[in-house]
Amino acid sequence: MGKLSKLFMVLSALCFAVPAFAQGGTASEVNWVAIASGFSMAFASGICALAQGKATASAAESLARNPAARPGIQLALILGLALIESLALYTLVIIFAKVK
Amino acid sequence: MPEIEQTELASAPADQFYSGALRRIGRAMPILAVTLTAAAWWKFGLRIAVGFACGCAIAYINFHWLKRVIGAFVDRATGAATRQSGKGIVFRFLFRYVLMALGAYVILAVLPASLNGLLAGLFVPVAAILCEAAYEFYAALTRGV
Repeated sequence: MGKLSKLFMVLSALCFAVPAFAQGGTASEVNWVAIASGFSMAFASGICALAQGKATASAAESLARNPAARPGIQLALILGLALIESLALYTLVIIFAKVK
Repeated sequence: MPEIEQTELASAPADQFYSGALRRIGRAMPILAVTLTAAAWWKFGLRIAVGFACGCAIAYINFHWLKRVIGAFVDRATGAATRQSGKGIVFRFLFRYVLMALGAYVILAVLPASLNGLLAGLFVPVAAILCEAAYEFYAALTRGV
């Protein structure tokens, strides 16, 4: 038990020491903005793709149930897909604004 | 039964009005593009205005293709016309993005267009949809449709 507690104390000391090691030297800094931009674009694209798939599936189901409602469903689908695509474009604009 | 007939009679002008939304949005986009391009030229200069106009053109073509692809999709879903295969519809839907990216690359590589202006121009359909929403709100208040 005593050895285990000493081991954890050493490990915790090493964990605190890591930032101290990182501050020294001339190591290149990580570009977190670029990494975050890549992740945000990936999330935005994936979620927009899911939303477009959900909208299209719902429209297809509604058309199969009631083909007479075609004009309204078609209009809603076009506007919905255009607005969903614009959400991904918002993310792209923010990325271009932040990453120079 | 008379109530249903009255409702159908009352909703006929409303249906006619709302079914013209896509046509009005398609007309509003070029008007907004010209107006905002002129405003961008006056406010930010030629380079931004050229980029904005190119973005508007790409967004207009993209919206037109989206309408065509969804029309084909709806035709297929309702069984109205089966001229196009499902693969063709999906290919056209995805090929829009490739053409948009190629167009943007060529415009930025060849023309002295601004990337910020191009990105701003891509939002013209959203502005047109907002204008249509405002117009429908106004029509609902004034004409009761």
